[in-house]
Amino acid sequence: MPEIILNGHKVAKGKAEGEALVSREPISFLGGVNPATGAIVEKNHMLEGSKITGKILIFPLEKGSAAGSFILYEMVRNKTAPKGIINWRADPVITVGAIIGNIPMVDRLDGDPIELIKTGDHVELDADKGIVRVRSKD
Amino acid sequence: MHLTKEENEMLEGKYGYPVQKSMEILVGLGECYDAEKMIPVASSHTGGSAVMNGKAGCLFIKEMAEKSGVFLAFMDTNPSGIDPFLWREIGIPEETNQEQMAMSNDLVKMGAFLGNTCTPYLIGNVPVLGQHVSWTESSAIIFANSVLGARTNREADPVPIAAALTGRVPAYGYHLDQNRLAELRILVKAELKDLHDYGVLGYFTGKVAKDKVPALVSLPPSVSWDALAFFGAATATSGSVSLYHMIGITPEAPTEEAAFGTRRIKDFPTFEFGEKELRETEESLSKATTKEVDIVILGCPHASIGEMKALAQLLSGKRLHSGVEFWILTTEMVRSYAERMGYVHSIEKAGARVLSGTCPINMPPGLLKKQGHRTVATNSAKMAYYIIGVQGLLPYYGSTQRCIDAAISSVWR
Repeated sequence: MPEIILNGHKVAKGKAEGEALVSREPISFLGGVNPATGAIVEKNHMLEGSKITGKILIFPLEKGSAAGSFILYEMVRNKTAPKGIINWRADPVITVGAIIGNIPMVDRLDGDPIELIKTGDHVELDADKGIVRVRSKD
Repeated sequence: MHLTKEENEMLEGKYGYPVQKSMEILVGLGECYDAEKMIPVASSHTGGSAVMNGKAGCLFIKEMAEKSGVFLAFMDTNPSGIDPFLWREIGIPEETNQEQMAMSNDLVKMGAFLGNTCTPYLIGNVPVLGQHVSWTESSAIIFANSVLGARTNREADPVPIAAALTGRVPAYGYHLDQNRLAELRILVKAELKDLHDYGVLGYFTGKVAKDKVPALVSLPPSVSWDALAFFGAATATSGSVSLYHMIGITPEAPTEEAAFGTRRIKDFPTFEFGEKELRETEESLSKATTKEVDIVILGCPHASIGEMKALAQLLSGKRLHSGVEFWILTTEMVRSYAERMGYVHSIEKAGARVLSGTCPINMPPGLLKKQGHRTVATNSAKMAYYIIGVQGLLPYYGSTQRCIDAAISSVWR
């Protein structure tokens, strides 16, 4: 089973391991995700209806309102949050959200995570060291 | 990012969880913007409404308070979700009052002053030229940056909380000299007669400036603080503008050369604001479809004592239409002076209410529509813009006198 290792930059500390959920499109936490169920609810989003709960969530960047930070925190309290997050480049909203929610997160990897990681792959995320290990599901 | 020894100890947890978590937030934010270091803040201004902060925001504040967080910088609050005196009368649910009390108490536990206003600069939170602060509330941010010459980014909660718990913010954006220079000119040709006209100019300015720093040319040096508050609130509504310069008026712009720095002014675009732009911008904000007005809302941003005096004079001896609710929003501090001066008496005698410490944007969403209101008249561009989404009312936007006339006849003219 091939393994890919990517190196990047810690956004929020901690370690997480789980199944990847990959979105090519940006995600907005305020309005785009239901914090009670963990489902993506944005109309016509490529992941509309998918649950991000317990996943290593990989998407390009956050979009939308600054109030999104608290939504991630609320999801952690509701136990509907993703286990870990990988972005191309973290914006302030997702950064603050991941930090206050204690969700391990990295960005600025040395390979494009959206190309290299597929939904369903097994991902080990060590945010403290900025390392992502990916085992393909195939 | 370079951290001092003390800042590193904060990050490692030497000063407890709230300080550690706050420093993590600030370092994370600093790294997003490639900040090189932290800088001390003179004050913070944070969201004061339990409704706006939502369940999660309230939980975060509660956690920080329970874990013995203490604000190192002076901290005050934006409007709350209730009026402390009139909340029952205006139909705020008991549950909202409870949630508000709980969140306010948690903030007080950490040392906050419950100013509960979008005009902290009117009640003593007044940073001076060059001081760094961490404020939320777009109308207060733009006032601090532009009129006072203090320095803040447009902070989203919980950043002002983290800043007050550590006494620091990362040095990026408007904290740095090079990001405070003007990037476009607005040449003002229209005659600005009252406060409301400054709001119209602001709304126009925000639209053309978007997220850039505008310089306003040809305004009278005698422009009032109230006019500056109206102008800034409107500018920050139609654009994400956090800093403007008024040449010959605001502290970082004694001349155009000072506002633009060493760059060539003619490399930047100029937009004219004449009578046509004034009229068109004003009309664009009125979205109401029926002539009947059922509520009038003034005091956005919160009315100053000068505005309270003027409103008392305008309403003195008048009788407002029985079918029209009339709210003047202000701070508790200004309300108490206005009471002593007899202004509140004149206003209430006409049939209007003076609300303090809150506003409809911070109250439970949809409350006014639920109470049967449909059409609002206001002299505030900011209120006209936000009340549609938050309270579901359609606005008429015009001068203070026009709003008062509508309250007397119940018809917008």
